[in-house]
Amino acid sequence: MGLEFIHRTLRTTGIVLLILFPFFLYYFGVWKALALFSGGVWGMLNLWFITLTVRAAIRPEGVDKPRTIALLLFKFPLLYVSGYFLLKISLFQPLWLLAGAFATVVIMILKALGRVLLHLDMDSTESRAKTSGVA
Amino acid sequence: MEYQAMLAWALPMGVGLAAVGSGLGLGRAVGSAMEAIGRQPEAAGKIQTAMIIGAALIEALTIYALVVFFILSGKIGS
Repeated sequence: MGLEFIHRTLRTTGIVLLILFPFFLYYFGVWKALALFSGGVWGMLNLWFITLTVRAAIRPEGVDKPRTIALLLFKFPLLYVSGYFLLKISLFQPLWLLAGAFATVVIMILKALGRVLLHLDMDSTESRAKTSGVA
Repeated sequence: MEYQAMLAWALPMGVGLAAVGSGLGLGRAVGSAMEAIGRQPEAAGKIQTAMIIGAALIEALTIYALVVFFILSGKIGS
């Protein structure tokens, strides 16, 4: 399970949000659908920034200082202030924003669960032993 | 103590506790990841991925506490 897992999670979240948006628009109305979509996009951006920050700060070659500082300066003021404004807009209900923001986490957990159930992260020998019933 | 006074006292305390908890959790996770990468630099990619997932889950819990704060703060002083 490498970094492509995170990229796949982001892509799947985007697709799920796009598929869900018209249904929520029809059944729950414009503002709830928009709140869910905005929360989801915020959650995706947050995960993307966490990924970039971890890749820049925690690596064998040492910390990439300029990149890390730039990312932190962008993530904390801009992303969190935009999240604050989304929460303060009276048209968006916080629960729907939260549901959208948690879409990324839910998809990540489901993807990880799928990988565990399908034994995708085992060595090939370990996997073969498991499928053939040899412990 | 009144219900609203208790809420006004408990909400910031709850967010503060969530922040302390997630700070401690993230600190432990980052420390362990650094140690693991130091021991096995070739496994850096896998360790980074696990670290990102852990950080996202820890941060999500803090955001959850913050959103609960925003939902309940409307009930103070009304």
